[in-house]
Amino acid sequence: MFSLFYNSNIFIWIERIIKFINSIFFIFLLIGLSFALIFSPPDYLQGDSVRIMYVHVPAAWIGLSSFSLIALLSILHFIFKIKNLPLITKSVAPIGLMFTCIAIVTGSIWGQPTWGTFWAWDARITSMVILALFYFILMLTHKFISDENKANKIACVVAVLGSINIPIIKYSVEWWSTLHQPASIKITGTSTIHPSMLMPLLFMFFVLILYCALIFLMKYKTEIIRIKKKNLKRYD
Amino acid sequence: MIKDFILMNGYGIFVWTSFVITFLVCVIFYYKTLKTLKKYEREFVKEIEELSNEQKKIVLSNSEIASRIISSQNKTI
Repeated sequence: MFSLFYNSNIFIWIERIIKFINSIFFIFLLIGLSFALIFSPPDYLQGDSVRIMYVHVPAAWIGLSSFSLIALLSILHFIFKIKNLPLITKSVAPIGLMFTCIAIVTGSIWGQPTWGTFWAWDARITSMVILALFYFILMLTHKFISDENKANKIACVVAVLGSINIPIIKYSVEWWSTLHQPASIKITGTSTIHPSMLMPLLFMFFVLILYCALIFLMKYKTEIIRIKKKNLKRYD
Repeated sequence: MIKDFILMNGYGIFVWTSFVITFLVCVIFYYKTLKTLKKYEREFVKEIEELSNEQKKIVLSNSEIASRIISSQNKTI
């Protein structure tokens, strides 16, 4: 059973899953975009500008959950020293940074028609910028520290420190008086969003998760090849 | 009808800009990731080719990953 976790088996599965996602992705993307841009209704207050939500909210969710995952895996690596975990965190970080930046930019664009401004140093927006900075530091650590053990240790500290920011982002709209609206979707409790908007939103989230899986697997495959390439040097 | 779809009651500029930015960033990121992966595969194959025949045999018999990368590179060639 544990043979499943050998790098060669992981590598074979990665190739299969990449092929599978590539074959279905565009169909799902087309369905998601059709619902987001055509079939979902406009908001009674915000009108059609609410459609920005279908990229902004999934991007923000991915940005937040990626960092939570990185922090969790970093702690697990720190305790159990599982060698594949830093490879995973290293592959997830650029995806998280990209989606955090997308959430900030699309949020800023959405701010103009709804708040009358592109930017405000609001608690939610500022904490998202801090999250992007943590991602950036995490990636710089791996880029500029050549000793991998040292880089992993520093990245672990950065991830744990950065994880303090996650609940701040989540509850910023409740703790402080902000321009940003409170959460409309609650895991525990009743969501205030209508199902005709919730379903396309969840579908777009699923489409972007598929995209993330594709990028993650390609990056993870690159990391495995990089390690294999390094091991080849033993034969020189 | 198409005009209404594009203009979106005056919000079109904001909605389309958001979607286009997201789409472009995702496409660029995908191609950059794919390019890096292909570069590493090419370099890996090149390094294997530079090994002596005996070393190459050892590497290929010990590593399924190496054989898969070589066969995939041969397919693309």
